[in-house]
Amino acid sequence: MTSRLAIVIRAAGYVLLALVFCGMVFEFAGYSAPAMFRSIAEGAFLSPRALMSTLRWTLPMFIIALGVIVSFRAGYFNIGAQGQFYLGAIGAAFAAEALAGVHPLVFIPAVVVSAVICGTLWALWPGWLRVRFGTDEVITTLMANFIAAILLSYVTSGPLKDPSGTGQSSSSRPLAAIYRISDSGGLSPTILAVAAVTGLCVWLLVNRTAFGVLSGLVGRNPTMMRWQGASLSRIGLVSFAVAGALAGLAAGLEVLGPNGRIVSGFLPAHGFTAVLIALVSGLSVGAAAWVSLFFGGLSAAALYLPVMAGLPAAAIAIINAAITLFITARNGVLTDWLTRTMIRRERAS
Amino acid sequence: MPQAAMEGMVDALRCTGVSVSYGDVRALADVSVGFAPGRIHAVVGQNGAGKTTFARVCAGLVAPRTGQVTIAGRPIATGDVSRSRRAGIEMVHQSFALPPSFTVAEAMEYGATGSQMFTRGALQRRWAAHLEEVGVKVRPGQRIRDLPVETQQGVEIARALVTRARVLILDEPTAVLSPEGVERLGERLRRLRQAGVTLLVILHKIREVMALAETVTVLRGGRLIEAVRETHGISGDDIARAIIGAEASGRQGADTLAAIGAEEAPTAPRQGSATAAPSLPPVLSIDGINAKAGFGGPQLHAVDLKVGAGEIVGIAGVEGNGQRTLVDVLAGLVDVESGTITLAGRDVTRQGLLERRRGGMRIVPFERNQEGLSLGSSLWRNWAARDLLRLGLFRGIRPAQLQRLCRDALKQWDVRFHSVEQTAGSLSGGNAQKTILAREVDADARLLIAAQPTRGLDIGATGFVWRSLQALRQRGAGVLLISSDLDELFDIADRVVVFASGRNVGEFTAPYDRAAIGMAMTGGVR
Repeated sequence: MTSRLAIVIRAAGYVLLALVFCGMVFEFAGYSAPAMFRSIAEGAFLSPRALMSTLRWTLPMFIIALGVIVSFRAGYFNIGAQGQFYLGAIGAAFAAEALAGVHPLVFIPAVVVSAVICGTLWALWPGWLRVRFGTDEVITTLMANFIAAILLSYVTSGPLKDPSGTGQSSSSRPLAAIYRISDSGGLSPTILAVAAVTGLCVWLLVNRTAFGVLSGLVGRNPTMMRWQGASLSRIGLVSFAVAGALAGLAAGLEVLGPNGRIVSGFLPAHGFTAVLIALVSGLSVGAAAWVSLFFGGLSAAALYLPVMAGLPAAAIAIINAAITLFITARNGVLTDWLTRTMIRRERAS
Repeated sequence: MPQAAMEGMVDALRCTGVSVSYGDVRALADVSVGFAPGRIHAVVGQNGAGKTTFARVCAGLVAPRTGQVTIAGRPIATGDVSRSRRAGIEMVHQSFALPPSFTVAEAMEYGATGSQMFTRGALQRRWAAHLEEVGVKVRPGQRIRDLPVETQQGVEIARALVTRARVLILDEPTAVLSPEGVERLGERLRRLRQAGVTLLVILHKIREVMALAETVTVLRGGRLIEAVRETHGISGDDIARAIIGAEASGRQGADTLAAIGAEEAPTAPRQGSATAAPSLPPVLSIDGINAKAGFGGPQLHAVDLKVGAGEIVGIAGVEGNGQRTLVDVLAGLVDVESGTITLAGRDVTRQGLLERRRGGMRIVPFERNQEGLSLGSSLWRNWAARDLLRLGLFRGIRPAQLQRLCRDALKQWDVRFHSVEQTAGSLSGGNAQKTILAREVDADARLLIAAQPTRGLDIGATGFVWRSLQALRQRGAGVLLISSDLDELFDIADRVVVFASGRNVGEFTAPYDRAAIGMAMTGGVR
């Protein structure tokens, strides 16, 4: 446990370094760094409104990050959370379209299940290619993101197009109010409860099941596990499936809650931020909750900056990018993982 | 040639007092030897004898702790490849280092010094002459990956010669060649010698030493045993004895056992075993197994092997003669082409490793740190893997309970650790091996496959491993012990089966005839 804590503290140190670096970038770009950070803090944490907004963005990213953690722990660098989220959203929207009119107690679970199934399937095909043919999951899951984004565009401007849509981005018909589990502010006890229960379930999966221990061993040394007689492909597929299912779940909640429909290109980077959350939290479920809150705050600030403070929202993109750089460049999760994977693949070929 | 004659008195390559240590392991101890120019010298020894380290020191790839390397009378800075290359030493590695997607000409250019821009055609013309001169029949435009292994080796040699090397070191060049290929390699070497190149060839098989080399140098345990003996003045038997260490071995074995406090004398290692063996069916029976090569070593040809209950069967052989494939096949990680594997009376040929493990198979794999343990994971996770896999993926576990069980097991196996949460990578080699044994030797173990279980261990840990194997035998389990240390096999195995080129070439029982086993191992005629 202490070593986990050390990992998190070290990660926090790198985040701090990244922020210092960003401050320098802001100064060079002609903005006052203290003013910039103050505005970001205002947009993220310094008012009840900001906190609500932060939490709204935290929850979906937290749920997605939980899935990413499961696949990373097993040694699979599934960076396709964004696409799995989109497919989940498409699944939710189709279910919503088909079930319009049924009782909310049937409707809501059915939509969620459909979202989870679609998210899972979208994670399973790269997973299957990986365990069956050794296809690099970094490439396939990354490319699957683009395919998913295009599918979303197609669905919202084709089969599920809202005819009354006005324009900027295509979207599906909005859900009836009785089917919504939150208003467009995005926070509701239901969503909060689902996120908490999901967090607990993943914690149990990782820490209190055979799968948790075995997938961790596979992630660190698949060769050793082969010699123990483990079925690597089974553990791998389960890991991919959990990742896809949770991204799908987040998408289902998003469709039923804050968005109330699917929109082409909505939440465009949150699946990637979830990958970042998983890395910064050192693949620990508990730490992921706090890290999600931090990145949720940045997401809230990204909306606040241009509107309220007249500052460019790109500042948040710079911060995210800097944190990614600093976290991945350190001698830690990613570099370890890369060397291991390279060795593993060399042996396999 | 005249120049070589003039230099006649000066060794082409000389090492003085060279010692190399890897951590606590001494790879070379005070080796001093000189190689005359314009001749073909063989360097032989068992695995771990220090041959490759020696070659790497000469080529500047490894910096010795002490000692000096002299090329044609001039000392060179050790551990500096580019200086060694400039001084005229090149090395052809055991596993080829040419980029597979390159054409032959590109690979040549890659080995050359200096860089210029060439068109593809110019590049190929530039190297066609060189290939011709070295006698490698290949078109410069062909890609490396399309070439047969023997030609690749030829290209590798040609590549090593682009800088006009004076001394060429070949690390086990015959390992990848067919018998006819070995003959052609011999011609190639003799032609190079004619051109004035001094050749240093690392070899395993005595037959090849006799066929290829003019002198032989023997290393054993990092020490120089024979220095540059003329091959026509020494018999294959003598070389085998020098490699394996015949005369000292009996006493050495006794000393070893005395030092570790084992109760059994080496002369009577089989007490209580022979009586049990015939009545029970064998724990392991392999019948007519053919298998393609795994990651290391040749394929298996019609291998028959039995391990009885309460019996330790040793597999002897020069490394890379099918032992690795045998273990892969037994673990079910490499498919057999034909034949059957029977574990405790049940045919497991088509079963996966998990099924075989359920049937009582346990494995101490070759690579302790890769295949045996997950070094980055905690001790209790490493230990619990065996039982958790049998449990099923989604069963709940209680880590505290597993940690307690693991703590007890490790203590029982005398592993020195401070917490079950510490990583396996923080253990010493001996403690790591004990941890593996603690996991693999449980009450349900019926057959233990122990692959080089004592390699790299100190004498105390070695004794511990031996006593564990003997305890297993006492309990009626079978043990298959793969070892390249003959003394170890003689001391604790009830039978020794010799592997050469993926075949079971002979079976021996005590009293062991060291010379006969040595000849069988090295492919000599019995």
